[in-house]
Amino acid sequence: MFHEMLAKIDRLVGIRRAKAHCDIPCGIYDPHQAQVAALTVIRMLDLMTELTNAQKTPTLEYHNSISRHIAVKEEHAELVKREVRVIWGDYLKQEHLDKYPELPGLVHKIMQLGSKCRQGVSRENAMDLLAGVNRFAEIFWETKGIATKRVKAPYKPGEEIVYPVL
Amino acid sequence: MFYLLKVEGSSLEPDFSEGDFVLVSKIPFFFRPVQPGDVIVFNHVLYQTMIKYVERFEPETGEIFVIGTNPESIDSRIFGPIRLRSVLGKVIWHFRRKRV
Repeated sequence: MFHEMLAKIDRLVGIRRAKAHCDIPCGIYDPHQAQVAALTVIRMLDLMTELTNAQKTPTLEYHNSISRHIAVKEEHAELVKREVRVIWGDYLKQEHLDKYPELPGLVHKIMQLGSKCRQGVSRENAMDLLAGVNRFAEIFWETKGIATKRVKAPYKPGEEIVYPVL
Repeated sequence: MFYLLKVEGSSLEPDFSEGDFVLVSKIPFFFRPVQPGDVIVFNHVLYQTMIKYVERFEPETGEIFVIGTNPESIDSRIFGPIRLRSVLGKVIWHFRRKRV
């Protein structure tokens, strides 16, 4: 009865709100985008290597293609960092850090490798970035009690990627 | 002295649900300081007026750690402790929305 009365008053005058909010969007986190971005970095490096090896004399076409590959590599290396940062900052809590003490070091390593991949053309760094993100994904799904599997991505560069077993 | 507020969000489920009303006052604090387990309403610079449980209170610094019951809750685990002076009061009455 009291609630109905208050609800009527609220409709008339608009009672002040006390927020008991969760994150928005509530609980929607997934490291998959970071994993695909890490694969993209590797793919761009492979394309750049193929293009450069095939080109004896640089042409305007070559410069155009290389520039585009570099731009995508930059964008996706940064995307890896952003996606991991969001999960790190918004989803992971102290209890996760207590259970997985490797997490702070792992996230820091991903941030550094992301930057190295933007700065350089080392495929080894890009593979290390993917390995770091895959481990991050394994831990993420473990915190939700969801098992994972490692499979070869069914597209180039065909490197290993962690998927949740749903 | 008293505030009537409507709960918005689900971070205190199942104790407090979206659409519940609460009556809040500072008067209880004149008789007993903030205690763990109290449900308080406070102003936050980013999230505005919030309602959460008190996890712990540190009187010497005036810092209160607040927490929700939902694992996804935005609380002191995200934004750190709040200041005692930002507290509007303690929930002294809870008007529950009729559950279907």
